[in-house]
Amino acid sequence: MIFHLAFRNLFRNIRRTVAVLLTVAIGAGALFSFKGFINGILEDYRENTVHSHYGHGQINTLNYRETVYEKPWEHWIDNWYEVDDFLTKQPEVEHVFPRIGFSALLKNGDLSASGQGEGIVAEEEADFFHSLNIVEGESLTTQKNGIILGKGLANALKVQPGDNVLLYVNSAKNKFNKKEFTVTGIFYTGAVDFDNRIFRVQLNDAQSLMKTNSIEKISIGLKEYTDWEKVSQAVEDRFPDLETAPFNELDKVYYQHSIDWLNTQFSVVQVIIIGIVLLGIFNTISTAILERKQEIGNLRANGESSFDVLRLVLTEGFLMGIIGSVLGIGLSFFILMTFLNHGIKMPPGPGLTNEMFISFKFNWKMLFQIFILNFSVVMLATILAGFKTVRMTIAKALRSH
Amino acid sequence: MNNKYLYELHDVSFSYKLGNLTVPAVQNISLKIKCNSLITLLGPSGSGKSTLINLLGLIEPIQEGDLRLDGKNLNILSEKEKNQIRRNKIGFIFQHFHLIPVLTAEENVAYFLYRQKVPKGEVKEKVEKTLRSVGLWEHRMKKPSELSGGQKQRVAIARALAKDPKVIIADEPTASLDQKTGKEIMELFAWLVKERGVSVIITTHDPMVESYADEKIHMQDGKIVSEVLA
Repeated sequence: MIFHLAFRNLFRNIRRTVAVLLTVAIGAGALFSFKGFINGILEDYRENTVHSHYGHGQINTLNYRETVYEKPWEHWIDNWYEVDDFLTKQPEVEHVFPRIGFSALLKNGDLSASGQGEGIVAEEEADFFHSLNIVEGESLTTQKNGIILGKGLANALKVQPGDNVLLYVNSAKNKFNKKEFTVTGIFYTGAVDFDNRIFRVQLNDAQSLMKTNSIEKISIGLKEYTDWEKVSQAVEDRFPDLETAPFNELDKVYYQHSIDWLNTQFSVVQVIIIGIVLLGIFNTISTAILERKQEIGNLRANGESSFDVLRLVLTEGFLMGIIGSVLGIGLSFFILMTFLNHGIKMPPGPGLTNEMFISFKFNWKMLFQIFILNFSVVMLATILAGFKTVRMTIAKALRSH
Repeated sequence: MNNKYLYELHDVSFSYKLGNLTVPAVQNISLKIKCNSLITLLGPSGSGKSTLINLLGLIEPIQEGDLRLDGKNLNILSEKEKNQIRRNKIGFIFQHFHLIPVLTAEENVAYFLYRQKVPKGEVKEKVEKTLRSVGLWEHRMKKPSELSGGQKQRVAIARALAKDPKVIIADEPTASLDQKTGKEIMELFAWLVKERGVSVIITTHDPMVESYADEKIHMQDGKIVSEVLA
């Protein structure tokens, strides 16, 4: 009967009920949309990081990344064919990319610039690292002696596709070595530091230039990024002299800091939305309850305990919380999927120079979290609004006007 | 326990706190109220009659003295036990009816029966019986806003009566009604006492109401100044 009365009470003052439902719905919708877009940004960041720079993770020799060596090639992976073979057999692994990194001086006539080179198996990497945005020429695939450069580096050297660039390196034999490459393409990732420094050549060209058969690292492309832990553990168990690092650790400055920044931003906005919803509902429900003081007095006079009356008020809050949250989340979802399904154009994110589209990413966990959060806020507001009134003495409630 | 007296009050006092002031509302009242009778509490505003019925209805706590209902000492009851007594033994009727506006006449009567955990079939029977007894069965589907003042008060009476209470406590039940409707309501109270064996305690200023009383209790300044048997 309490549920029946609580339900009927929703129709007592339609305008007020609509006001509460709208407040709850807008709160739920705002939290849901914002969380969805944050998820979209995080996923874009993750995919961008994975598919432009690092893959899902990387393998080096133990402590290689933390240590600065005078001759780093002495600490590269010698038995990399064995590692490659092991990785290829793992069901979670889709791609294995052996690489070497090296510093070089690039020259084009009188112009020179220092850069950070990557020797890669270009044909295999071309599909996976699709975020590498080629703005001039074509991506490096099978071209012998081909080189692709970041836009900043290409600008510094004033080269375009088809031009030649001379690379000078200090080889693994501790001797200067040089080799001429032909620019096949110029890329632009949006990450300024990357675009100003990085160039890529074929792995065997790089090995020949560096006079080594080893590789510096192996990047891995997984079927699912969530499989990283399993693969990482398998590699470290099988090859104790190697260590693994996931992409978020490799790109802490860009990726992990961006994630932390966005999550903090979401928490702050979440608190603001919750505060607004809490105050809005508290205010409306307080007024509604105060207007019913005599009625509450009557209920109490006829044997209802203050807990019974609080239960009635909470049931009303419960219904409004459920209806408002479902309405808000449902409507937001409909609008996002219908009118904003292509995403929203945003200015460049932290560390980026190009505009991006952020899209709404839905998952059930987030739906559940937002629903529970919003619903809890409604219940809290109802308790705060109802607590004082339902504890009022019966005589005082009956005397009030 | 079958008691001759419904209420027994001994030296009951009650005072309100108004800031730092203590205002005595009821002072040293000793009184015995018989079962199956219609009692009127009379007196000017501020005489203490509303406070007294609040004490009788367990709406105000007993501060001093002894109060017994049906032989049971009410001073020592927990809040939960008081709720049970209010729910099962006492019916309340107020000047402004205090019906639940979102429920129909029928649902208003049924609400407290369901809360008493009366079985559903029995609730229907009781609701029909009481609404017919107050002449409102045809209006059972109407909400309070669709009823006249007299009809609302009849619903309130039906609601109180459906609980099968020992006593109905009515605070100025005719004050919001015209004379004719007021008389009809008083006829109904008199019928309840005579036919249903319920005791009715009414506060009033209205001489018409007095004429129905089996006993008239006059109050002034928180004290009983006279008790007159009709």
